[in-house]
Amino acid sequence: MRQLRAFLLRVIGSFRAAPDYREEMEAHLAFATQDNIRRGMSPDAARREALMQSGGFTRGAEGVHERHGLPWLQETLRDARLALRALRHNPAYTFVAVMTLALGVGANTAIFSVVRGVVLRPLPYREPERLVSLESTIGERGSSVSVPDFLDWRAQSTSMRGISASYTGTQQTVLTGSGEPERLTQVRVSANTLEVLGIAPLLGRGFADGEDDPGAPRVALLREDFWLRRFGGDSSIVGRTLVFDGFPTTIIGIAPRALGWPAEADVWMTTRFTPRDAAPVARGARWLTVIGRLADNATLAQSRDEFSAIATRLQQLDPTHNGDVGTRVTPLLESITGDLETPLYVLLGAVGFVLLIACANVASLSLGRVAARDGELAVRTALGASRGRIARQVLTENLVLATMGGVAGIGVAVLALKALLAVAPADLPRVSDVRLDGSVIAFTLALTVVSGIVFGVFPAVRAAATGVHDRLRSAGRSGRGSRESGKSRRVLVVAEVALAVVLVTGAGLLLRSFALLRAVDPGFRTDGVTTFTVLLPSTRYEGDARVESFTADLLARLHRLPGVSSAAMSFALPLSGDSFGFTFTISGREAANGADEPRAQARVASDEYFAAMGIPLLRGRLFDERDQRGGHQVLVISSELARRYFPDEDPIGRLLQTGWGNGIPGQSFGGEVIGVVGDVHQSAIEQDATPHMYMRAAQWPLDEFDVVVRSSAPYSAVVSGARGVLRALDPDIPLGAARPLGDLVDGALGHRRFYMLLLGAFAGVALALAIVGIYGVMAYGVRLRRQELGVRLALGASRGGVVRLVLGDGLQLVAIGIVAGTLAAFALTRLLASLLYEIKPTDPATFSVSVLALVAAATIACVLPARGASRLDPVETIRAD
Amino acid sequence: MPPSRLDVKQGTLALMILRTLDVLGPCHGYGIARRIEETSGHRLSLNYGTLYPALLKLEQEGAIRAAWRASENNRRAKFYTLTAAGRKQLARETQSWQETAALMAAFLAPPPEPT
Repeated sequence: MRQLRAFLLRVIGSFRAAPDYREEMEAHLAFATQDNIRRGMSPDAARREALMQSGGFTRGAEGVHERHGLPWLQETLRDARLALRALRHNPAYTFVAVMTLALGVGANTAIFSVVRGVVLRPLPYREPERLVSLESTIGERGSSVSVPDFLDWRAQSTSMRGISASYTGTQQTVLTGSGEPERLTQVRVSANTLEVLGIAPLLGRGFADGEDDPGAPRVALLREDFWLRRFGGDSSIVGRTLVFDGFPTTIIGIAPRALGWPAEADVWMTTRFTPRDAAPVARGARWLTVIGRLADNATLAQSRDEFSAIATRLQQLDPTHNGDVGTRVTPLLESITGDLETPLYVLLGAVGFVLLIACANVASLSLGRVAARDGELAVRTALGASRGRIARQVLTENLVLATMGGVAGIGVAVLALKALLAVAPADLPRVSDVRLDGSVIAFTLALTVVSGIVFGVFPAVRAAATGVHDRLRSAGRSGRGSRESGKSRRVLVVAEVALAVVLVTGAGLLLRSFALLRAVDPGFRTDGVTTFTVLLPSTRYEGDARVESFTADLLARLHRLPGVSSAAMSFALPLSGDSFGFTFTISGREAANGADEPRAQARVASDEYFAAMGIPLLRGRLFDERDQRGGHQVLVISSELARRYFPDEDPIGRLLQTGWGNGIPGQSFGGEVIGVVGDVHQSAIEQDATPHMYMRAAQWPLDEFDVVVRSSAPYSAVVSGARGVLRALDPDIPLGAARPLGDLVDGALGHRRFYMLLLGAFAGVALALAIVGIYGVMAYGVRLRRQELGVRLALGASRGGVVRLVLGDGLQLVAIGIVAGTLAAFALTRLLASLLYEIKPTDPATFSVSVLALVAAATIACVLPARGASRLDPVETIRAD
Repeated sequence: MPPSRLDVKQGTLALMILRTLDVLGPCHGYGIARRIEETSGHRLSLNYGTLYPALLKLEQEGAIRAAWRASENNRRAKFYTLTAAGRKQLARETQSWQETAALMAAFLAPPPEPT
């Protein structure tokens, strides 16, 4: 305690001037003199005697100074002050070095803060490591969970303290009766969800047991941010009744912002499964997201065993729907970020390379500076400075430089992070958790110190290596010392080029994949197509007839808008993430079980849908007025469905039947095939088209659907026209999620675009830094060799010959770097495999292009110094030394 | 012939200063030095380079406090005072020294005559 107090005081003391003890020591001397006089000495002798005893004021002051601070810290500070002064004298050098480092450190900080926010930060729930995601699996593929499966899991599992289900993703809901109608996002969860997550409402209460029953009074939680925005944080909202989709709903509490499961939304409501949702036939309808909290005594492995046993029981119970359905138990954080870890760590590695290149550049600059200061260092050595002392001073200077770079880097990181979040895909999970927090700053500091050492050690060792004799002899001339630093700098150039090759190759691979993906025909045409969603409040649009007439009215009016060539509705749009998979039977064939059972995705579409989307009719006909509701049910199927299940037959006229309907007794999805249309990449651009069946919207009215409008009018005109149509039909229905269809395609490629842009930016920076580095070394090399070059010119070497000589020298270095870099790229691009589309990580075309890019860049960097060399005046260069 | 001079043993000076302040009460640097020299029978001599860093160290450790005031003959001088923590330290170290000294004395005593 005592020691610590003294230590801290001395740390502080190191930064301050030592207290002045002179007055105290003078008082001391006066007392001693007086005593001596009293003992009978003459005043002069008394003072002399006292002075002799004192040991001198200087020694006293020195002792106090040493004790006041910490000698090593004081010395370091003195070095730092010296370094600052030296750096101030050379502002160009300081600026370039600090900016280079700031770029490297800033980019690293920005990427690290994304990795930290998305992957590393624990979930904001109680004991988040005990939360698991529970999925069904069909074959190898993960799947949502059906209501009957969920209820059976919950009844049979003992390894979970609680299991909670939610509708997958968010739904739309419309708030009316409280000012402007507003479209909100809502999630529907089991009543125990807050308990399972271990999160308490800010105000009011959470859901009570039984509030997720279909007959229970409707209750909702508002999320903090929505509550603040819409109700200004008015706490009297708790207990009030608001109208959602026409249903009066009691607000029971406010959920904290941290609540983000299963998705971020404005309103939390309960699942309210109907008996139909839970009926045995619904076991094949998988649309729930399920999580659980492990029981106190249970391990992950135990829960996996238990759930696979439950899955086996359900397979035996219902082989039709669950024949090949298993379960998967994953830690919740891993299930959210699992797919992102690889790309984010690749980016972190790549940006680390950028920092290494930046360090190499600064090291090279610093070496040049040491060489230029040979004279000064020689004098200091001659005056008795030890090698350690000189190395220490150079290292201190570089650490000071690194610190300045780090501080500037935090500024760069703030800007870079802003830019980065602007291009981040909208569905990047937990992106709202990305910020520069304490641990990110700590990372930056560590990075700064490490980079300072990385680029500082090289020059420090070099500065100390040369003896005073060599130094004095070569000072101010192009002697051995400079040559040696030239050699070290050449090694750095090779390293820089190699690192740049790796980055450029990686970026090239992503770029090529992206280009290939953009070239994929998704099966529909996006130009001139606008989409939005409509949600009819079920209280006022009960009954298919009302929904049908509203829909027909809406589409007819949209069609009459200027420029519109087709207007249609659909559920759901391709690439929207919504999908509804069913197994079905084919008339005239034996029903198959398990994996052999025919499967397809079902969509509902109105008549003009295919025209609006530009999906071609290949055989048969499309929907028309013959296909009435309640009449003969018809289907249009995708080319892939026809290919897979009717390889040698004509599917037209066959009956396909699923076991799942929309609640009307005796009705299930399916019908007679009347036409075959082109394939559409429905779930992802990079995934091949899967079998699809389209049902006619007029036969299956929906109260929630997407609208697609193909028009020659500009997007904004279409949206405002559509808004007018909707308002005229029903002012309580807002226009939702309007966007050009092309945005869906862009959104589907959002992640790839993000990784490509970032890696591309890193590669660009790497290339630029490498060019600067090569240029610096070559220009310096020419300066060292100017005598020799002058002699060559004087002896009749042609100017072209000198250019070739210098260029050849530079390109030789670059060639070594390229070979090393290509080898490294061969080893490292494997990490990108999961991000590539249709090309191998060792794609020869990409490798060739990136090598060419490096050669071109390096040539530019070498040409200027080479031309400079050829313009040397032989007489002057020879005379100069 | 003056008595032979000794060097101040490492770590003992702090204890001497604390003890001096305990006996004399608040005292300035010269007073402390003089008292230590006299107690040692002038075998110890404290120069400024030894005394003042030691005083600063004790001040940093919180064992003593310093303040300027007028001395008995109206000269301004810095007076050092023992703090509560210093008093505790003195008690602790005194005991530990006495134990060490007793131990060493017993150890170095001439061996008993064989009987």
